[in-house]
Amino acid sequence: MSASLMVMVILFGGIAAGLVGSLTGLGGGMIIVPLLTLAFHLPIPEAVGISLFGVIATSTGAAPGFVGTGLSNVRAALFLQIAASSGALIGALVAHHLPARLLFALFGIVLGYSALMSFMPKHTDVAGAPESSPLALRLRLASRYQQAGHWRRYQVVGVIPGFGIMIGAGFLSALLGIGSGAFKVLAMDRIMKLPFRVSTATSNFMIGITAATSAGFYLSHGDIPPVIAGAIILGVIGGAYAGGHLVRVLPVDILRKLFAAVLLLVAVQMLLKGLVNL
Amino acid sequence: MKEIVRERRLLNIWILRISIALCALLIAIGLIIFFVHGSTPILVTPSGSLREMIQTSIHGSIGLHASAFLDAAIIVLLLTPMARLVAGIYVSARVRDWLYVGIGMLVLALVIVGVIAGQSGV
Repeated sequence: MSASLMVMVILFGGIAAGLVGSLTGLGGGMIIVPLLTLAFHLPIPEAVGISLFGVIATSTGAAPGFVGTGLSNVRAALFLQIAASSGALIGALVAHHLPARLLFALFGIVLGYSALMSFMPKHTDVAGAPESSPLALRLRLASRYQQAGHWRRYQVVGVIPGFGIMIGAGFLSALLGIGSGAFKVLAMDRIMKLPFRVSTATSNFMIGITAATSAGFYLSHGDIPPVIAGAIILGVIGGAYAGGHLVRVLPVDILRKLFAAVLLLVAVQMLLKGLVNL
Repeated sequence: MKEIVRERRLLNIWILRISIALCALLIAIGLIIFFVHGSTPILVTPSGSLREMIQTSIHGSIGLHASAFLDAAIIVLLLTPMARLVAGIYVSARVRDWLYVGIGMLVLALVIVGVIAGQSGV
């Protein structure tokens, strides 16, 4: 394959990653790493590094939709970001010392779990906490958001467990080149009892900074080939933009399950590559 | 207070829109140059450390090198979440919320440590 043709194929791969990532809600990272390692045989540290830039592009592209709504809890984001960025820093440092097969196996497990979750029933809002915990009060994490024209206040609890999950989310993000949005939302929504919409918007703000912490490491470590990274980033920006519009007209529930089934197969392939080096 | 919140939203939206547009434009220029002059070695070779990337971006863009524009786009993308973070710190400082100015600075320090640690080849 000529260099130009390969770049064209990678560009279209990036578009597909952005499109599928935004339609399934899984994010682009889950698709970019298997694409670059299985189809183009890139070393996994380079694929992870490039994928982190894809994650920043996806999160930045989606962010204006969240910023105008006033949904994100900036105090919670900044405080939890200490944990997520610390985890990301540790993950980036560790990733360069782990065998590639272990990273493939771990990626297969996380992708398989995320794809399986797509078949589960849709999220329902959990009941909010009646009052904030002492630490949440000290950090002034409770806030309010607008729903159907009314301001609704919410309280925050479980700051320490939420902080702990964020360290793990940042670690996985740096190790595998994913946004870890599902883990961030889990920490804020299920553990800290933030409303689901607030958790999603706050998570978007955090995903970019978490990815930047480890992407900066991979970049300055010399792991990012600019032509491949550029093709992926441009493709992801275009694909995520198209996905954001198509989500309103396509039968997303059916597509989500269909893509999730394909990703489940990819997860098995990644796992096998890790376990038996296929 | 409402004025400051609106200021923060506008600041964030402009940071996001300008950086994504600039990043896409720089990549498009870089890839067009690559398609015209491209060769296989440039495809798979990383540009090197961040310092080298900044140097090649400045010098290479004058000579219309594909990697110079692509490196510049990658750096712009990396700086975008950091700019949002700085905007958050700025707004916290405007309302004299020194606890969150400190927390924001700590997060920014972690991002910078990531770049320095990668550079030192840890």
